[in-house]
Order: sequence, then C-alpha cells, then structure tokens
Amino acid sequence: MTDSYFKWAAQLFDAARIHEKPEALHGIRVLDLSVIIFGPATADFLGELGAEVIKVEMPGQGDVTRILGSASFFWKNVSVAFFGMNHSKYHVGIDMHKPDGQVLIRKLAARSDIVIENFKAGTLEEKFGIGYRQLREVNPRLIYVANTGFGQWGPFARGRASYDGLAQAVSGLTAITGTPGGHPTKIGNYLGDWYGACMSALGALAALRWRDRTGEGQFVEMAQCEGLLRAMDWTWLYAGLTKRDRPKTGNRDPVFSPSGVFRCKDGFIALVAGTDAEYRGLCRMLGKPGLARDGRKGAEHLDELIQAWCEKRTRSEIERIARRHHVPAAPVMTGKDHYESRHLRARRSVWEHDDPVYGTMVEYGPAPKLSATPARIKWAGKPVGFHNEFVLKKILGLSDEEIRALEAGGVIGKWADRMGAKPPDGWNGEGLLQ
Amino acid sequence: MSERWYDWIKREEDPARVSELPEALDDLVVLDVSQGHYGAFLTGTYLAELGAEVIKVEPPGGDPMRGWGPADATANGTGLAFVAEARNKYCVTLNLDKKAGRSLLKGLAARADVLIEGFEPGYLDRLGLSYRHLAKANPRLIYVACSAYGQFGPDAPGRPREYDLTDQALSGLLHVTGDPDGPPIRVGSWISAYAQAAWACMAVLAAVHWRETSRQGQMIDVSGAEALMRYLEYTVLLYHATGQVRGRTGLYELAVFPYTFVRVKDGYAFIAGYTDPNFQAICRIMGRPELAKDPRFNTTLQRTKPENEVLLRDEIEKWSMDFSSDEILGKVLADPGPGIIVFGPMNPPTKVLTEAHWWERGCFRRVEDPMYGTLLLQMPAWRMTRTPPRLKWACRPLGYHNAHVYAKYFGFGPGRLAELKTQGVL
Repeated sequence: MTDSYFKWAAQLFDAARIHEKPEALHGIRVLDLSVIIFGPATADFLGELGAEVIKVEMPGQGDVTRILGSASFFWKNVSVAFFGMNHSKYHVGIDMHKPDGQVLIRKLAARSDIVIENFKAGTLEEKFGIGYRQLREVNPRLIYVANTGFGQWGPFARGRASYDGLAQAVSGLTAITGTPGGHPTKIGNYLGDWYGACMSALGALAALRWRDRTGEGQFVEMAQCEGLLRAMDWTWLYAGLTKRDRPKTGNRDPVFSPSGVFRCKDGFIALVAGTDAEYRGLCRMLGKPGLARDGRKGAEHLDELIQAWCEKRTRSEIERIARRHHVPAAPVMTGKDHYESRHLRARRSVWEHDDPVYGTMVEYGPAPKLSATPARIKWAGKPVGFHNEFVLKKILGLSDEEIRALEAGGVIGKWADRMGAKPPDGWNGEGLLQ
Repeated sequence: MSERWYDWIKREEDPARVSELPEALDDLVVLDVSQGHYGAFLTGTYLAELGAEVIKVEPPGGDPMRGWGPADATANGTGLAFVAEARNKYCVTLNLDKKAGRSLLKGLAARADVLIEGFEPGYLDRLGLSYRHLAKANPRLIYVACSAYGQFGPDAPGRPREYDLTDQALSGLLHVTGDPDGPPIRVGSWISAYAQAAWACMAVLAAVHWRETSRQGQMIDVSGAEALMRYLEYTVLLYHATGQVRGRTGLYELAVFPYTFVRVKDGYAFIAGYTDPNFQAICRIMGRPELAKDPRFNTTLQRTKPENEVLLRDEIEKWSMDFSSDEILGKVLADPGPGIIVFGPMNPPTKVLTEAHWWERGCFRRVEDPMYGTLLLQMPAWRMTRTPPRLKWACRPLGYHNAHVYAKYFGFGPGRLAELKTQGVL
C-alpha cells in the first residue's frame, strides 16, 4: 500500500512533466520596482508560481546585487549573488528619476496586477510621483506591495534604514541564537530578507484572493523586522509570563532533549530525540538500552556520549543506523551535498537549466511542489534592459521611433560596459527579443 | 496629495480599526489534521489570521504539541509553543483510528477548501485519507502535505519525523551559520517551520486562485528543509560555477562589508554600509573620512577581501566601543548624507518589548484569555489597508468547538455527540 502511494506520488509530481502543466498565476503581471533581495525575491516567488514579472532597473548599472561579492563571486561578468531572486523576469532599464520614466512606470502599472517596491517609506510617492495613491488612480484594482525594514509609519520608520542583519539584531532573534557568552551569531544567510519576501508574497496572494472575490485592490506592507519578530515562536509569551529572556541554548532545541549538532568523521550531524520512542531508539543506537529504563530523566546529559559515538562514524553511517532505530538524524548539508543529491534533483529543489545567455545553471528551485500547477524556473536573470524592446512594444505598444527617442533622452537604457550589468564575454546575442 | 503619505497610511493601517474591515480569506474552510507538526500547525495559523475558518482536528487524547514548550513556564498547564500559535482556530476531536472517525473526516473534507497534514508520508494513504481518496468526493480540494523529505523522490520513503533542527541541517543553513573555526550554529527559533508555513500558504493561495478558473484542486508537497534551502541564495550556484563550497564566515561576509556586529559601550550592535557612498558615510560619522580613501577599503572589492574585513571591523570597534548604541544611533540619524548607514542595537526580547515602535504598530498585544490567563502574543505580520489580518482568540482547549463544528457540518446535537464520545470517535 505504501509502495503504491510513493509510486502514485512520483507520478503525480513527475518533474519531467512540469513544463507541460499550467501555471497557477498565469495572466498575473507583477511590476517589480525593487532592489537587492527583499523586494526582488517577493516578485521572484510570484514568478515561480507563474506570474509575469517585469523588473525595472536603473539603465547602465542596474540592481546593486549584480556586483555584490568578493572577486571569487564573479562568474560570466556578474555576481552569482544576483540570480537567486531574479528568475524568469523581463528586465527593463527605466530611469525613474526622469519624468518620462515615471510616465512609463504609470503606464506599466496601469497594465499590472501587482506592484512591488522596497524603497524607504513614502519615497515613490513624494520623490517620483508613482506611489500607491498615484498608481491606484490609473489602476483601482492594483495590489501594491511595499517592503521596508521598520514599516511605513511608527517612531522607527522615520529616517531609519534596515538590512537583514539589522532586522536579526533589533527583532531579538540574534539574542536567542547561539551559545551564551562570546560575540553574537550572525545568521549565515539573509534570513530576514528571504523570510520577509516569502511573507510579503503571501500577503500579496491574500490580497489577490480578495480581489478575485470583490475586484478591489489594496496596499499591502511587510516590514522585515516584523517578519522575524513574528517567527520567534514562544519567545514573547515566555517574556510576558516570566519577565525574562528565553535563554540561549546553543544547538540544543530547548523543547526537545536530547538534541544537538554533533561532529562526525566527515562533517556534522543534527540529531533529535523528541519523543519517548525516539529516546529509546537513541539509547539502543548508542548501545545503552538500559539508559531508557529511567524514562527521559537525565536525557540532557547524554550529549558527551552522543558526541563520542558520532566522532567515530561518518554522516551517512549515522544516518543509516539512526533510521534503523527511528531516531531523527540529518547531515549538515553543504552546497556541494545539495549539488550532488539525487533526491533534491529529482524534486527540482536543485534545478538545472540551460540558459541562452549563461549556459548551464544549477540553482535552488521552487520550494513548494504543486501537482497541477507546478512552480518553475524558465530562464536565469538577464543583463540590464535585456527585454526593453519586448516589454515596451508588447505591453505598452511603443513604436521603434518612440523607443529610440526614449533611449536618446536617457529615459530607458540597457547595460553599460561594466561588471554585473553586461552579458558574458563572447555572448552572441542569443535570447534577445526585438 | 493633500495629506502626507505618512499620516495617510498610518490612519489607513490603524490597528484600532482592523475589526471594522473585512477578511481576505473568510470564505475558505481549512482542516488541519496534523499532529505534532509545527510547520503544518503554523500553516493553519497564517490562514486563520487572514480570515479562513481553520478547524484543528485532534485525536481524543489531544495533539502532543499541547505539551510543547519550555520546561519552566506554561499557560495554565499548556505548552507555550502551542498557545503562541493556536489563535483563531476551531478545536475539535476526531479519532482517525476508528472507521466512524475516518468517515467523519471524509465528510468534513468533502466540504473543505484546504486540508493540511504533517504525517509520515503514506500514513494517511493507509487510512484511505490521502489526496487520491479525498479528491474523489471533492475535486476542488487543495491538499497540503508537510514533511522533511517530501512525498516523492528517492529519499522520500521511510524517513524519520520532521524537526526544526534536522531541517536546519538539511537546508544548508546550519552549515553557513557560525564561526569558521567553530561548529555550525542553530537559528534560535523554529525557523524552518515558519518558512514551511509561509511557502505552504503561498502555494495554497496560488492554488485557490487557479481553482477560480479551472474548478480543480490539487496536492501541495512542502518540505521544511527545502523551505529554508530556497533561502540559501547562491550556495549551490557558487559550487556549480566556481567549485567553491560556501562555509561559515561568522562576523564576516562573503558578499558585502561592512555588514557586521561590533562591540559598543552597552553590548553589541549591528552596523552596515557596504556600497561606496554608504561606507563613506560610516567613515564620516566615525570622524575618519580618510579611511574611505585607504586603498585597503576604498572599493567594494577591497572591503570584501577576507583579511581587509578583519582590519576594517577592528577600525570600527576602536570607535564604537566609546559610545552606547543610542549615542551612535543619534549620530546616524543626524548625519545629513549622502549615503545611508544601517545601525541598531542587538536587543534581547525583553528590551524589544520596551520599545514604543512595535507597540504603536500593533506587533504585540496583551490578551486576557478566559482560559489561559494573561498572554503576550506577537500579532500578524502583514498590514493590509482593505483586509487586515487579525487575532480573534488566542487558544481553546481540546474539543472546545466539537458542538459548534459537528452541528454546523453534520447537524449533530448533544445526544449524538455524547454517543460518539462514548464510542471513542470524538
């Protein structure tokens, strides 16, 4: 029966058929006016689910993530950091500082369903004349998504900028992460950006649901710091009841013990025994079944025993033995492990594709798997202004003459001859749409 | 515009008027049948905050999660992890080990829009309650399955239960968090469960949108490990493109610098300004404009050289340790520009709770709950001008809504309920 379940599920989600299936957000157009991660990832996630995303960048240089990173990040004239939040987008170079650029944005917004921006609160309205109140004039059904650090209003919203690392610090997440003493642990990825983007895209889809029901658009905002505050489980309840901060517990999960991250021969392994049955399995696995006789008393003192046991074994040996004893254990995986995982490739969580400009790409694929409308990657991020003609002609119906005039006035433009913005050396023009 | 943006949006988003406005998802019925699965639980929570009717189906003995939380504090005996995220849900009991229980679940699923589960893959299939069974009676059903390894792929069968810590390991987040010469470090909250829930809800709402035109539901498979892995940015591409395995960098950064914690007089603070104008601004408030021209630090490429990052952070600390974080923030806010400095203290939770900003914006609320006492809860994260999310009630005991839900969907009165209870079905 279970065999038949996995056979059935493998067919239902068969990755080879992804591109034959429809897309959930087909027909939804997203105008992405944002930079760096928080905004672009919000648009990207909607794009993975089938929305058509138009990414607007400054002509010449484009989004700053194109040049982020040390020298070792540069690959084919662009930073590898640029791609993770810029899939399958149409890249347009429009200078929003210029009145004619603002006209173009208003025209695009009139034909879009969702606008996403991550400027400081009020900037697009007050400086550029393309804020929510102005754009809803041309499109009352518009869903306008604004991502910031601290929100559109409130004492900290005035003049304070934010990045992910700051959100980790001021939300309290840093204070509950890591081991007591020593310097703070900066979470290794830009968690506040990515999680915030996920929540922001979710907010946009809730607004889309409301619009499907009523035709009404609205303004949706997501603040990075507030996203992390929200994701701290029982931290606030605990502080409210005890007037204390929950203690840092390092790698031990404070609710499930024993648990931790243990050094083994070839890396690290995470291990949790959260139920009595798992605890008994753990004791058996360690060759000390007698320990389980007293229940879970003293379970938190097992760390040294587990560490000594793990040290003598590899990650995959431990995983195999643990599975036999029904003990949840998982290797601490690296980028190389992800790259080589047959499982992740079969699920397209590691997604290989052939891009007309960048050649073979291997990236993280969409996280949720939808059986009828699978999320997907179609192409990789492109140089600045790569789709100017396509977007301006197809969506706005501009003529070649109008496009040339806008170019001459510096209102629109493509990549400058600089790192990050331009195509790889030797690119032969493949993929361009006229 | 006659009214300034700041004032307008503050009024539009006023937390005090939330209850006067409609809810985005109040036409959706959601069944959460998961047990002991925080990501699945949170999926229901987010949908409930946005207005869905979420029915939490528990075994007669209760979801073991009711006991989850720190050992030294509970809310009248119930685990804090449960109480923190049980909001707005209808709590019913139903015994899926009994045939009559399974048949009631089928009845509920026939009318539901969304079903959420977090069992070992294949478990509900053995009970005749997986998507392929339930979709027969309700082709519009959207069925969400949460697990660590997913419902398909070579490693899907026979894997252990999903925990946040093991998900953090599989995702690669553990491997990149911590000091280069130390062990990987876990993120302090159950972040993989939150990521899993956010993805699951996003997929559900995309599926709901598609269902409007297709009239078809579907199955959604969300792994908590993959949910976090998608946040790992360039980790796998870096390996593909250059053969480099991204490791731990502690206080330093591969991509941008300065972007780090530094010591200040009263603890630690975060400071960043990695583009040229922003870095020049940091040097300006430090009273060290010459540092911006130093050949070791004058370009983004120079600043992100590992040896220069260490030197630069030391330079900043020489200055920052003479001031409190408030004093530095004062300097940051007073700086006329050009350039933007991002700065803030590393606050413990009790300090966060003293700051007016979060309270004014309604990020927290103290709730007097009739059953669980005074609760300090984090509020929904989104602001929406037309359909704001909201908190209606904090938590309800096991089976609290049995009479309500079983009357609403099956017309059962007290007699039938008592009978089912005696038979061990509820």
